[in-house]
Amino acid sequence: MKINPEKLPRLLTWSLAALALLSFLWWLTWDPTRSLTQSLPGMDNRGAGGAGDTVLIGALFDRFSDEYTPLGETWPRFRGAAFDNISASPVPLREKFGSSGPEILWSVQLGEGHSGAAIYKGLLYLLDYNEEEYADFLRCFSLTSGKEQWRRGYKVHVKRNHGMSRTVPAVTDSFIVTMGPRCHVMCLDRASGDFLWGIDVEKDYQSEVPLWYTGQCPLIDGNTAVIATGGTALMIGVDLRTGTKVWETPNPGNWKMSHSSVMPFTFGGRKMYVYSASGGMAGIAADGPDRGSLLWQTSAWNKQVIAPSPVCMPDGRIFITAGYGAGSMMLQLKENGGSFTADVLYDYKPSEGFACEQQTPLLWNGHLFGILPKDGGALRNQMVCVHPSDTRKVVWSSGSDKRFGLGPYFMADGKIFLLHEDGTLYILKPSTTGYQELDQAKVIADGHDAWAPLALADGYLVLRDSKTMVCINLNR
Amino acid sequence: MADDKIKSRREFIQGGVRLSLALALGGIGGLAAARMTGEKWVWQIDPFLCTQCGRCATDCVLTPSAVKCVHAYDLCGYCDLCGGYFKPGSNALNTGGENQLCPTSAITRKFIEEPYFEYIIDEELCMGCAKCVKGCTSFGNGSLHLQIMHNLCVNCNQCAIARVCPSNAISRVKVSDAYQVKGSFTKPA
Repeated sequence: MKINPEKLPRLLTWSLAALALLSFLWWLTWDPTRSLTQSLPGMDNRGAGGAGDTVLIGALFDRFSDEYTPLGETWPRFRGAAFDNISASPVPLREKFGSSGPEILWSVQLGEGHSGAAIYKGLLYLLDYNEEEYADFLRCFSLTSGKEQWRRGYKVHVKRNHGMSRTVPAVTDSFIVTMGPRCHVMCLDRASGDFLWGIDVEKDYQSEVPLWYTGQCPLIDGNTAVIATGGTALMIGVDLRTGTKVWETPNPGNWKMSHSSVMPFTFGGRKMYVYSASGGMAGIAADGPDRGSLLWQTSAWNKQVIAPSPVCMPDGRIFITAGYGAGSMMLQLKENGGSFTADVLYDYKPSEGFACEQQTPLLWNGHLFGILPKDGGALRNQMVCVHPSDTRKVVWSSGSDKRFGLGPYFMADGKIFLLHEDGTLYILKPSTTGYQELDQAKVIADGHDAWAPLALADGYLVLRDSKTMVCINLNR
Repeated sequence: MADDKIKSRREFIQGGVRLSLALALGGIGGLAAARMTGEKWVWQIDPFLCTQCGRCATDCVLTPSAVKCVHAYDLCGYCDLCGGYFKPGSNALNTGGENQLCPTSAITRKFIEEPYFEYIIDEELCMGCAKCVKGCTSFGNGSLHLQIMHNLCVNCNQCAIARVCPSNAISRVKVSDAYQVKGSFTKPA
C-alpha cells in the first residue's frame, strides 16, 4: 500500500493519540494490588466452640492414709496470710545449704502445671490435673513425709497448654476452696475432704476461660469465698457453708477473667477487693451494706493477658504489671467524701522500667522487688529493685550473669528465697542497695518451667517445677 | 669424569625452569582437585545468638533477603495467643490483618482443635524481618527463628549481614553444617 506522504503526519498524530488513549485506559483499569489477598477474621477456620461438657464437681474421692505429723503453722493461700508473700513465721531458716546441700525431704510427681501449695498445720493441699483419669484433684499430703492422705476431684477434659493446673487453694480451719483450670470452683471440708458445693464459672456466668487456663487463686474472706468470674458478673461472694451467692458485682463493661487474683485492700476507711480484669481494673466494696458494689473502676489498664496481681500500698498507690508486651502502670487511689477515683500516675512499656510477667512483685522496706520479663530490655530476667516513687528508675539489678526466667520468689526469716525456672533455689539477703546472694543449689534435677508460687510453714519449703514437687527442710 | 657432572649455566637455568613449571602445575592441579573434592563454606545464623535486630531484612544484598523465618514445630506450643503471630495488645485473636504482627502476612494460622493452632511460614512472602521471631522468643518457646536459605543465598565472600550483625550470630561454616535449626538442635551447655 502506498501512503501519501502528505497524510503521514496526520496518520502519525492519530496513531499516537490512539496509543495514548489506550495507555490511559490501561492505567485507569490497572489494579496494582490485584495479587494481594485480604487477611480477614475467620481464615483460621476456628469453630464456634462446643457446648461444653457437664462436670460433676466433687464427685470423685479417694482416701489413702491418715498418718501425718500435726504442726502449728500455715501458708493458707496465694501470697500467704497477709497477701504480701512475706512469711511471718518466727522459725529460723538456713541461710546457706552447706556442703551437704539442701535437705530434700520428699518429692512427688505431678501433672504438668504450675499450681502452688497451701499448707495448714502439717497438711499440704495442691490442685493437680491427672491426665490418665481426665480429672482435677485437690490432693492432700502430709507436709513432713509427702504421703498422700486423700484426694477429691471431678472429671473434666483439660489438654496440655503450657501446663494445666495453675492456682493455689485457699484454706481455713474449716474450708478449702479451689479453682480448676477450666474455672470450676470446689469447696470442701478441710479436715475430711467432704464436698460442700461447687460452681462451674464458665457455664454459670457465661465467662471465658483465660488463655492457657485460669491462674486466678480463689480468696476466702471471713465466711465468704470471693471469685472474680467475668462474664455476666465481675465478681461474686459465696457463703462458704451453703454455697449461696450473697452478693454479685455487675459487669456492664463485659470485662473478662484474667489470671490475676483478687487482693483485699483497706483505704480511705473502706475495705475493698482490688481486681485487675482483662478489660480494666476495679475496687469492689468488701464490707458494709453496699458489699459487692463498685467503689471505683478504670479501663486505663486494659491488657490481654495479666498474670500478676495488683500491689496495693498504704498511701493509695496501686502498682499493676503484666507481660506479653503490656508493661506496667502506677495508679493513685483517692477518696473524697466516701467516693473513690483512680488516677493514672504513669505507665510504660516493659523495656522502660520495672515489670513482671508471671509473679506479683514483693513490697518490702518501701521498695518493690521482682524479675523483669523477657522483653524487659537489657535487664530482662534479672531481679530488680525499684522505689515506688518512680518504678521506671532501677535502684539495683542482679546483673547480666544472674537471670532467673519466670520463677517465683518470696521472703521469710529476713531472706528472699528465689527459684530459678530451671529448679535452682537461691537465698538472697534483702537489700535496697544491691543484689546480695547468700547461697544457691539445684533442688530439682532437670527442672523446667518452675513458675508456681512457693509455700512455707514450720521451716518446710514447698516448691515445684512443671512436673515435680519437692519439700525442703530449711530449719536451722 | 668430574668434568661430566659440571652443568653449563644454560642447562642449570633450563632445569630450574622445568622444575618450577612442574611444581606450579602440580600445585594448581592439587588446588583444583582439593576444590573439586573439598567441602564448600557457607554462611550460617546461630539462632541462639540472634537478637532479632531486623538487619537481616535490610542489609542482605538480595531483595527480599535470603534470610527467612523457619518454624521448629516440635518446640511450638501451638498457642491461641501466639506472640509471633499477633501484635502485642491486638484487638482480637483472629486472622484480621490489623491483628497480625508480620508486615507481609507471611504466617498462616490454622485451627487444629481447641485450644491449638498451627502457624506456617510462607517463605515466598517472608523477608526475614524477625518481628515474629522476637515475639515468639519473648513470649513463647522460641520455635520461630531465622535461617539463611542456601537456595537463595549467593554466598558473598563477605556477607553483608554478617558485617552489621550486632551479636556476631552469622559465621562461615562447612556446607554440611549449613543450617542450625532449633528443635532437633539444642544449645550446648
